[in-house]
Order: sequence, then C-alpha cells, then structure tokens
Amino acid sequence: MRRPAARWETTTGQVTGIALLFVAGGMFGTAVIEALGGKQGTAMVLAALVTLIPGAVLWLWTRPGQIDRATVFSAVAGTWLIVSLFGALPYLFAGTFQRTGTGFPVVFADALFESVSGFSCTGSTVFGSHNLIGDQGPGILMYRQFTQWIGGMGIVVLVVTVLPALRASGLGLIGAEAPGEGGDRLAPRMAQTARRFWYLYAGLTALIAVALMAVGLSLFDAVAHAFTTASTGGFSTRDTSIGYWDSVAVEMVIMIGLILGAANFTLHSRSLASRKPVHHRDSEFRAYIWLLTGATLVVTILLVDDDMGLARALRSAAFNVVTLGTSGGFGNATGPGSDGDFVRWAAGPQLILLILLMSGGCTGSTSGGVKVMRLIVGLSHARRTLRGVRHPRAVLPVRHGTGVMAEPLVERIAGFMVVYGMLVGLGTLVVAALGTDLVTALGGVIGSLGNMGPALNRAGPTASFVDGFSTPARMVLAFLMLVGRLELFPMLLMLVAPYRTLQKRIRSH
Amino acid sequence: MVGGLAVCSGLIDLIGTGSDSMTLLVSGSGMGLLGALLFRRVAGPVNVRPADIIAATTLAVTLGILLVSGLYLVTGAAQQPDDALFEATTGITTTAMSVLDPTGLGHGLRFIRAGSQWLGGFTALLVGIVILPFFGFGREFADRSRSGGYRPLAPDEVSATRNIARLYVPGTGLIWAAYMLAGKSPFDSLLLAMSTVSTGGFTNSPDEFADPSVQWVAIAGMLLAGSSMVTLWHVIVGGRGLQHQTGLALYLGLHVAGVLLLVLWSTGVDIAAVRRLLFVVAASVSTTGFPMDVPGEWATAAPVLLLLLVSVGAMSGSPSGGLQVRQHRILMKVALREMARQLHPRAVLKVRLAGRVAGEDTLRQIVILQFLFVAVIFSTAFLVAVFGLDLADSLSAAVHATATAGPVRGINGAMLDPADWPRTARLALLPAMVFGRLSIYPAVVAVAALLKLLRDRTRLRRRYLARRHGADL
Repeated sequence: MRRPAARWETTTGQVTGIALLFVAGGMFGTAVIEALGGKQGTAMVLAALVTLIPGAVLWLWTRPGQIDRATVFSAVAGTWLIVSLFGALPYLFAGTFQRTGTGFPVVFADALFESVSGFSCTGSTVFGSHNLIGDQGPGILMYRQFTQWIGGMGIVVLVVTVLPALRASGLGLIGAEAPGEGGDRLAPRMAQTARRFWYLYAGLTALIAVALMAVGLSLFDAVAHAFTTASTGGFSTRDTSIGYWDSVAVEMVIMIGLILGAANFTLHSRSLASRKPVHHRDSEFRAYIWLLTGATLVVTILLVDDDMGLARALRSAAFNVVTLGTSGGFGNATGPGSDGDFVRWAAGPQLILLILLMSGGCTGSTSGGVKVMRLIVGLSHARRTLRGVRHPRAVLPVRHGTGVMAEPLVERIAGFMVVYGMLVGLGTLVVAALGTDLVTALGGVIGSLGNMGPALNRAGPTASFVDGFSTPARMVLAFLMLVGRLELFPMLLMLVAPYRTLQKRIRSH
Repeated sequence: MVGGLAVCSGLIDLIGTGSDSMTLLVSGSGMGLLGALLFRRVAGPVNVRPADIIAATTLAVTLGILLVSGLYLVTGAAQQPDDALFEATTGITTTAMSVLDPTGLGHGLRFIRAGSQWLGGFTALLVGIVILPFFGFGREFADRSRSGGYRPLAPDEVSATRNIARLYVPGTGLIWAAYMLAGKSPFDSLLLAMSTVSTGGFTNSPDEFADPSVQWVAIAGMLLAGSSMVTLWHVIVGGRGLQHQTGLALYLGLHVAGVLLLVLWSTGVDIAAVRRLLFVVAASVSTTGFPMDVPGEWATAAPVLLLLLVSVGAMSGSPSGGLQVRQHRILMKVALREMARQLHPRAVLKVRLAGRVAGEDTLRQIVILQFLFVAVIFSTAFLVAVFGLDLADSLSAAVHATATAGPVRGINGAMLDPADWPRTARLALLPAMVFGRLSIYPAVVAVAALLKLLRDRTRLRRRYLARRHGADL
C-alpha cells in the first residue's frame, strides 16, 4: 500500500495506529477460532474491521517525530487507552455482557473493564455466576487470553519492533511502558532489543504451552493458559480457573511459568546467551525467590494451624502465594469454600497475600506491583537513613546487590513509593465511597494498581468483580489498572503534552 | 514524674474512698526517691550524641509504661500483668484502648489514667518540638528564628521545654474550666481536660458526652489540642495573625471536608447530627478518639475516611499521633516534584514549605517515615490477625494503635472493646503504640541501638571465650 507523501507528524498517532493493527490482527485470528467452534464469528470480524480501519488510517497518515518526555507519556498512555477502548469491541459486538435488565452503559463498562483488565494483565473479571465463562465461544475466550498476552510484554514494545524510525525515542517509549526503572538494552538498536524481548516472550509461551499439554491439557486450553501464564495475566478459559483441573502437575507448570514470567527477561536473555542459568547471580531474583518461599512457609504454617492438613495447606499456600506474588491471579479453588478459596482463610494468611499483592515480581518482567527491586532499594534506603540519624556525618550509599545505587535513582524510587501510597489511600476512599466495604476496596485498589487479579473479601478468586464493586467503582479500578501497568507516571502525566500544545496554539492565535 | 503522678493520685484518692491512697503514696514516694537517687548519683556522659538522646527518650517512655503498669498491679486495678501493661501503654502513648472499667475505679486510679495520658501528651510535644528537630530531622522547621524581634517557641532545648509547658498547662486549665461551665463536676472535668489536651481519649463513663454542651467543649478542646504549639505561640506570644498559617488552614480544612463527606454519605442529617459528625471527625483528626455513636446509617466509606483521617493526624507540633499534616504536605510536594522530574529529569527542584526550603535529608527522612509508618501498620495488623481478629478489625486496630488514636471503630461503625480481644492480640498492639507515640524514628533508633549493643556484647563474649580457649590450649 502506498503511503501519502504529506503525513501528519504525530508519534502518538503512529504508535497507536500500529498498535491497533496488531490488535485487529489478533481479533481476526480469534474470530477464525470463533467461526470454527462458536456463534460470534461475524461479530468478531466486524470488531476487527472497526479496529483495522482507524489503525490503518493512523499508520498511513501519520509519521513519528522528535518527541520530548511529555509526548512520550501521552503517546504511551494514549495508545493504551485507545487500544483498551477498541479492545472492548469484540465483547460489545458479540453481546458477551448483555444481560436482561442491563442498560448499554453498564454493558459498555463491563466490556471496557474486561478489555482493560486483559491488556493490563490484571486478570480481574466481570464474568461470574451470572454470566459464566463456560458459556462463551472459543474465539471470545481465546481473544481474552490474547489481550493479556499482547499486554504482557507491552503494546508499545511490540510497536517499537516494527518502527525503527523512532531511534532514540524508542528507548523513552519502552522505558515509559516497561515495568521497573526504565528499559534495559539487549542490543545496540532499540528495535532489535524490542524484538529480542518478544522472541524470548514467545519462546517462553511456547514452552509453557508444551508443558501444559504434557500434563493433560487440550491444545486450546494449553495455548490459552500459556498466553496468560507467560504474561502473568491470570485469565482462564474455565470458571474455576486452574481449580478446574484440580491437578498438582498443572499447578506446578503454572507456578514455574509464572515465576519465569515474573523474572527479569534480561536474565533469561543472558542465560540463553551464556547457555547456563544466571538468575541466581541476580540479587533481585534471589530476594524474590526468598520472598515467595518465606511467604509460602508462613502461610502454610498458618493454614495448618487453622486445621488444614499439611499437604493441602502447602499446595494451597504455594499456588496462591506464587500466583499473587507474581501478579498472575489464577485460582486453584475448585469452588467457593474450597481449600484454595483464600477469602475463607483466616485473616493472617490473607494479610500476607495483601502484602504480596503490593510487592509484585522483578523489574523487566511481565509482572505488576511495586517490584522487588524497589522494595530492596526502599529497605536499603530506610536502613541508610536510620543509620544517618545515628551517624549524622557519615556518607552512606544505598546498595543493591554488589553495586551502589545512584542517588537520583534512589530518589526516583522513593518518589514512586510516595505516589503509590497516595494512590492506594485515595483510590480506596473513592472506591469505598462508591459502595464497597473497607477490605474489598483496599484489596481491589491494591490488586488493580499491582495488576494482580483477584482481590479480597467480596472479590475473591471465586467471585466476580460485579459482586464486589459497583459499575463506577469498576471504572475507577480499570483506570488504576492502566495507571499501575504503566508504572504510574505516564497515565498521570498523559495530559501534559496536549495541554502544552493547546497552550501554544492559543498563544500563536 | 511517674512518682509525682502516683503521689498526686494518692492524695486525690482521699477525696473518694481512699482505699488506694496509701499504696499510691508509698509507691510514688519510692519511685520519686529512686529517681532522685539516680539523678544525683549517675553522671551524664561528656559527649552526648543525638542518637543517644533519641534512644534515651524511648527508654524513658518504656520505663514510664512499666512504672505505671506496676501501679495498676499493686493497687489491684488490673489482675493480670498484661492487662496492666496494656492499660499503662495505652495511657502513656495517649491511645486510650482501655481494658479497665473506669466506673469501678477509685479517684486515684482514674487520675493515674488521665495523668498518664497528660504526661504522654507532654512527652509527644517534647519529641515533636524539641527532640526531633534538635537531634533528629526537620531542623529547618524548628521555630528558632529571632528575626524582627520575634520570640520563638524553641530558641534552644531548655527554653522550648519551658515554653511548651507554658502553653500546655494553661491550655489544660482552660479546657478544665470549659468542661465545668458545661456542667461537668470539677473532678470529671479535670480528668477530661487532661485527656483532651493530650489527645488521649480516656473517658470516665459510657455517657460522658451525652450533653451537647459537653460535646461542643470537647470539639473545641480537640481542635485546640490538635493545633500546632508553634502556631499557638505565634498567635499568643508573637502577635502574628492566622492568615499565613497554611498548616492550620489545611488542618481545619480536613475537618470541614470530613464532615461534608460524612453528611453526604448519611441520610436524614439534622443540626444535632452535624455536631456529632464534627465530634467524630475531630476525635479522628486529633487522634483523641473520644467515643461517639455515628448518627443515621453507617456508610461503607465512612470507616475508610475515618481511618485515613486518623493516619493523617493533626498538625505537627501538637501531641496528636498519625503522620501529621506537615509530613503529608511535604509528601504531597515530593510526589509533585517527582512528577515534574519525570518531565524534566535534570531540573533542580526544591521543596518549599512555609517559606523555607526543606533539606534533602529532611525530605528523605520524611519519605522513610511514611515507609516505616506503613510497615508498622502492616506488621502489627499481621500479628493481630494471626492472634485472632478478622481482617478489617486487624487493619483498623493497627492503624489506630500506630496513630495512637484510641478506641477502634468496627467496619459497621460500632466501637470495639479491646477487652473482648485475645490477650496476645492486645499485646501485639503495644509496640505499634510506642512506635507511633514516638513518631517512629526514636523507637527505631533505640531498637537499632539495643540490637547493636547485644551484637557487640555477643562478639565480646565470643572473643573472650575464644581467647580463653586459646589460653587453655
């Protein structure tokens, strides 16, 4: 296709256009699956076309330009918002959330919630006993899984793989979307780096799919769950999630997959390059494994103390600690009140899970949350500050592993923590004001900001978010999911660049 | 000081039955003599480091708690040591989660309860205005400047302590008189005044605040107690107006916003209900925690709002708990600066507050303070949850304990009675109360110093044993 000579210079438009083309491609693919085994194939093709046309127009009629940081933020945040909006179309056209007595605004809100939860890899769902996952066609189910897979490594990272013209701006774009403190380079060119990340990601997904098939899942279920395991997303094709299979082997594969997905992908790349694992040399990964192991042990002890048998306790504790500690969000509860239904556990283990909802996985991974590296630096920073009270004249660096952290980075992490804390407080108040109780609101907000999936109390692993939150509260949570997925600042600062442009235009007039 | 409190209580007990007066007088005299002996015999070190003073403050508070719990035990007010310890801690730290029934206590013991809060409130003021700014962090916000002939509140450590007493004692007297004017008996008024001015929150009977006029006095008292001593000093002594007191405006704004939100979430609100809501908000913001039933239907967001207000707390330089308004203002500015830095990574951006530039060390310490505050809340909530409370009550109890904010309100709005909780859960709350009362840092520094001491001792012992072993060989 020939592209017009005069094109509008807007990086946001270009990035969004290509992202929409990728999403439309995914919609077409899953529409084929739906056409083969479901009833909504036409609706999905229509959704794909409606997504394809604006995507193609933006791609053809725009070109990337030089961008400053404000534009990077608005490009990344704008892309995620628009992709989430178009991502809701298959649900809308297929009438997935259409229920008797429910108006269009609620149906649209539910579709948008599911879309945002998918792309941001949160895994919270509005499906439930009122609208079963099992009643949906295979295409719709695979599309849900696909949204998490594409969101896991990052839509913008995907765009950068095919957009070499961005040059230096690519690092800024990836940095604004990547989990952790900026993006690591795996290759001299950003497009190559992005491509390598995606190859690794696709390889991990394939590996998990094969392992899941080996433990008894069908091809469809294996691929679908591999998508959401590698991306630490947590969507499932079954109403009781992984609890449907009630199999230790399946849970083990999922846990290993989640841990690999929540580890820094740079470590995977280095391990492949050196042909031996280097993960154990990374202090963040070690701390992360210790965190998961420690939490599993404590939760197991508390569950045994609560009259659950040791084997059952260890299984439930390990799976739920890993799935929430990696921001996966799968459930192994076979039904309400079963061993894996953690909202029925005593308060102690639930509180550990709440803390894990905040911590998240490693930087440079597909997981959400604060990230272990930030926690390590935060603790080291606290230790340094407290030592400073005792030794006011000492020059005390903040250490991470064997290295010394640069002060600007330490300050950035401290600033991130402050903003995160404020968002949790404010978000909990707003969600509670919209009719949710304290524990559900707190769990929902922390879970959404950390892209975790299930929350506590009325929005547990066997419940739907429709039961726990009102429609406006779900919209607030959806916004927080995007804020959390983009590591706070791009979403919070996305309006700065348009505001500046508007200001310039007003002045020039 | 605790000895003096015990002697005063012994004398006051004579107004009532006098059954505890002899025990209190003897115990108080003994404590006083021991204190005087130590003061005379033990010489202070030549070089005192700031960390030593901070650690000593923690030690003094801990000692005060132990002595007051001893008084509860010897008088038989508490039958179990853990009950005595809980009551003493909740008194000295001005938390007011009482396990004793005040109606069954004599005059002397009720005076000890209120007096321990009064002493705790004074200690909190010393920590906030003298010890932390002079020996810890936030030196730039200490009120020391004499420019323009102004008399500052805290020109040096000794004058600051004296000036705080000059405001604290008359403030207590003022509130005492107001309670009496509202119809309370002189003794009850005195106890209430001591609990109000210290943001303590102990009450003497369940229907203490049934009378609207008493409610108004309590509201005014809590507002006053939650105000910064520096602001009050500026107005009373310095003759400065209130128009430039941004912290005060924010503090009052918290009350207005809190009441407005509660009114918005409630149904059938009349003037009496607004007064009661203002009472609840003032009790939360000032972290006094005086109990009051909430009128009308209890909204789901109300406990979240009250928990947030409790954790925000009142103005810095007041005896209230929580992170306090100034710390929140600084945190807000740090958050905004971080956002600005995202757009301009190389910009040099300073944080200003009340016309003063906050030092990077101060900012760092306040950020870490927030980190530690949250860490204390979650670790306390975890322990309390393990010992048997449900998740909502655990979180609520942990926030109230860390913010030293008195009786815990359940998720349905009802006040919870700590006497119904397991003993272990109550004990798990004690460290949080002490940490919260001492603004976290001094307690952490003291714990670190203690750990270092233990480590050094262990090392020395190990070396000694190794040498002896070598000599034996």
